[in-house]
Amino acid sequence: MNERISPFSPPTPWSVRTKRTARQAAMKSWLEGMVYLVPSLLLFGVFLFYPLGRTMYLSVFHTDYQGQPTEFAGLAHFVALLQDASFWHSLKATILFAVLTVPTTVVISFGLALLVHERRKGMGIFRTIFASTMGMSVGVASVIWMFMYNPAIGIINRLLSAIGGSPVSWLLDPDTALYAVAAATIWMNIGLTFLLLLAGLQNIDPSLYESARITGMSYWRQLWTVTVPLLSPTLFFVTTVSLIQALQTFGQIDFLTKGGPVEATNVFVYAIYREAFVNYQFGSASAQAIVLFLIIALVTFLQFRFAERKVHYQ
Amino acid sequence: MRTARATAHYVLLCLCSVVILFPVAYALLMSLMDGAAILSGRLWPENWTLVNYEAAFQQAPLGRYLWNSFFVAFMITLGRLIVSSLAAFAFVFLRFPGRDRWFYICIATMLVPWEATVIPNFLTIQALGWTNRYVGLIVPFWAMAFGIFLLRQQFKQIPHELYEEAQLSGIGNFRFFCRVVLPLSKTSLVTLAVYSFLDAWNMYLWPLLVTNDDRVRTVQIGLKQLQTQEIASSWGVVMAAAVIAMLPTLLLLFAGQKQLRKGLMQGAIQ
Amino acid sequence: MRKVLASFLTLMFIGLAAGCSNEDASKAAGGKTEVVFWHSMSGDLEPVLNDIVADFNQTHPEIEVKPVFQGTYEEALTKWNAVAGTKDAPTIMQTFEVGTKHMIDSGKVVPVQTWIDKDKYDVSQWEKNIVNYYTVNGRIYSMPFNSSTPVLIYNKDAFREAGLDPEKPPLTYSELKEAAKKLTKKKGKETERYGFSILNYGWFFEEMVAVQGGLYVNNNNGRSGDATKAVFNGDEGKRVFELIRDMYRDGTFYNVGQNWDDMRAAFQAGKIAMYLDSSAGVKTLIDNSPFEVGVSYLPVPDGVERQGVIIGGASLWMVKGSSEEEQKAAWEFMKYLTTAPVQAKWHVRTGYFAINPAAYDEPLVKDEWAKYPQLKVTVDQLHETKSTPATQGALITVFPESRQHVVKAMERLYEGIDPQEALDQAAEETNRALQGAGN
Repeated sequence: MNERISPFSPPTPWSVRTKRTARQAAMKSWLEGMVYLVPSLLLFGVFLFYPLGRTMYLSVFHTDYQGQPTEFAGLAHFVALLQDASFWHSLKATILFAVLTVPTTVVISFGLALLVHERRKGMGIFRTIFASTMGMSVGVASVIWMFMYNPAIGIINRLLSAIGGSPVSWLLDPDTALYAVAAATIWMNIGLTFLLLLAGLQNIDPSLYESARITGMSYWRQLWTVTVPLLSPTLFFVTTVSLIQALQTFGQIDFLTKGGPVEATNVFVYAIYREAFVNYQFGSASAQAIVLFLIIALVTFLQFRFAERKVHYQ
Repeated sequence: MRTARATAHYVLLCLCSVVILFPVAYALLMSLMDGAAILSGRLWPENWTLVNYEAAFQQAPLGRYLWNSFFVAFMITLGRLIVSSLAAFAFVFLRFPGRDRWFYICIATMLVPWEATVIPNFLTIQALGWTNRYVGLIVPFWAMAFGIFLLRQQFKQIPHELYEEAQLSGIGNFRFFCRVVLPLSKTSLVTLAVYSFLDAWNMYLWPLLVTNDDRVRTVQIGLKQLQTQEIASSWGVVMAAAVIAMLPTLLLLFAGQKQLRKGLMQGAIQ
Repeated sequence: MRKVLASFLTLMFIGLAAGCSNEDASKAAGGKTEVVFWHSMSGDLEPVLNDIVADFNQTHPEIEVKPVFQGTYEEALTKWNAVAGTKDAPTIMQTFEVGTKHMIDSGKVVPVQTWIDKDKYDVSQWEKNIVNYYTVNGRIYSMPFNSSTPVLIYNKDAFREAGLDPEKPPLTYSELKEAAKKLTKKKGKETERYGFSILNYGWFFEEMVAVQGGLYVNNNNGRSGDATKAVFNGDEGKRVFELIRDMYRDGTFYNVGQNWDDMRAAFQAGKIAMYLDSSAGVKTLIDNSPFEVGVSYLPVPDGVERQGVIIGGASLWMVKGSSEEEQKAAWEFMKYLTTAPVQAKWHVRTGYFAINPAAYDEPLVKDEWAKYPQLKVTVDQLHETKSTPATQGALITVFPESRQHVVKAMERLYEGIDPQEALDQAAEETNRALQGAGN
């Protein structure tokens, strides 16, 4: 069906009726739609749009340490931001981080989902294992990874030296820190992504595979021509959500690297957090938050614009 | 040939499991060691001990925290399922002016960096008098773009002919929603429920801000309470608390998985 | 149909309300004066604090002190900022030492001096070198509570193995370099043990500067007027950075990053032989290390006279807006905390200093010191400190931010940047923050 219906032209079944009743019907349908939406819209309004508006407001002010506006700043925060080398650095780190984590997470999770999606014994247990990482909070997972990365006693370096490699200071070297955090993040995100993709796979009508098998299609061809297109709504959803999440990464950075070394992992949200909650510069933190909002909005818009066209809805 | 393939399949599955499970196992093993053994970098405990668990329960009221976490996570999950499925239903099946615009507005909320909303939200909760109460921990999380988006993607898979048939035979929208849409979407609902529960279970900063009282605080705060900077943290105790906090969620996942599979079998759309 | 929906939602709200209504936490204190005390004492510290509070509540039936953990110092301060001046604010607030100026400038606190004067309380019994930090313009603003200083920690077994005298730890930079060279042990190309390490944390740098008598910011460390310029990039700071650079280049210095526990793990695993740590962590470290641990003073550059150390840790603030009665009760609690027996208990069980030196004469402390002679070293270093603006510590609002810049400078040092250049940049960024804080 067509995704984009024009909001104000009456839907086709009613086209035969007069304009007036059509308008009434439109009104009635609008009211009915709203009944379903009110709980969501109300909560979004209070807990998301109001703070967002507040953030926009603060971004053009200087603030005191309590976050109260003191003096109008105009676009000063934005100008300062664009001139700040750390801002561009942080932007680069954020994009790199997203590029490192999103495709890898989706591909690995898809592979795992395919592995489990077979009629064999004991799949239930593997399914639980693969989904298990979503049961851990970022805090817990980060603490564990911190231990594994520890250059002196961590298990990763111990394994490395056991096979003859030389120890690496994973989180302390600006060249490896972002990769190390990305690896931990991929591990943390696999659980949910896997579960979502698996659910998508299970929803595919098995009879479609039957016809593919009859024509003697190879496993890989079947994957490309049947599975991927049918899974595309889920894949689309998973990539969109993962991308947004990646652009908003915070917890693991706070635990593992504090944005260091030499700002190598100073991703956007962490920079905002530090500006607001450690340095109490709410004005400039708000400006950064607005910039981040715009960036994510742009990325998501492009995704909906271009990627969703390729999505195949039944 | 067939057995060879099956063997290869299982070997691959086991390898992946080892990689995925390793950090969890590592935490579990560390929670069963004493401090000196952890700091010497051992992997396998020499002397198994439960002292860390005793210490964890003594240092923070973890029992109470666990119950609070459970209650809060459960209520958030329930609310989210209802609020999100209603909205998703409207976005997929109902036709009304401005529908897509509203959808994009909902999706846009996903873009708001959560950190930017914390302080204003805290002040709102304070103004409502919801600090130190469960309600302040629960209600702000009911609406969730992720949930609406997930369910929308699921509902779109339901053939539209079903809806048209229902309309023709005079079945109202809400009945169609309860009788047809929800049962057909069990998988996604369970997925969302599991996700919401875990998400809520793992909250830290928000509960810390809006509560002062042990009677409503949640288990992640307890975890943080066991870690220090200036004085060496007892990592065994921290890991024990982590395992305690992790266990219910892993159990839930296990239970949810079974439910998931059942739902999948019934939910196959013909 | 809509009715069903409506009743559905109502049901949900009712369920929620039922779950919540009896959980409202505001408890009538039954004629007692309630003192809410926000703190950041986690881990093994919290049970000690709770014990002390319980003892107080028992011996003072008219007062009920309620300790509430509020996360790390930063998290607690964020929350405090949001509630300061409202009814949700606590009566006593614990804040780290670098938040001192922030608290004063907020205007939401009552200087402890007010109650000292009202009560004609004799503060000479408090440790002068600790109180100095929290004394601004001649008034004591907050009550020092958990106080610590940095010390040099070393592995005595490793000293013996390297042919060094374990009772003669290095006191100067050249001795430190010498010892580190001997302690560094290589196996093939791999370094099995490094000589020395410093955590990438601003506090240690500040202390290494202060021990030489160097200032962090101008206007006498911001003590004689608002600081406008960072001066830590002078000779004193440069010496510290050059020390790190030289040792790192020689391969005798190990970069442990900025995580305290990573650093301790490296020491206890024998990866580093000497490093700087907080005096508060000494006892746990001795208990958990599989070798003999030595404790000594911070090393100074050759030919520079030792000035002493700045106090670190946190203090307790009395919050404006609480009633006279609550403040009085809070003051009673603060006085109780500083009594010798309580301080003795606090010192022995946590490792933090006693703010009342009389505590060191308590048998409890004497027994402990007999068992852990290293603890006495930490106290001696504090006692020998000369009271100057340098050792009093800097007073600026943007301290947390400035520390971030110093940490970055340290990290750049490992990347091979010139020490002066790294320091200058950190100083310049601090200057910018100092100016920004003016509006």
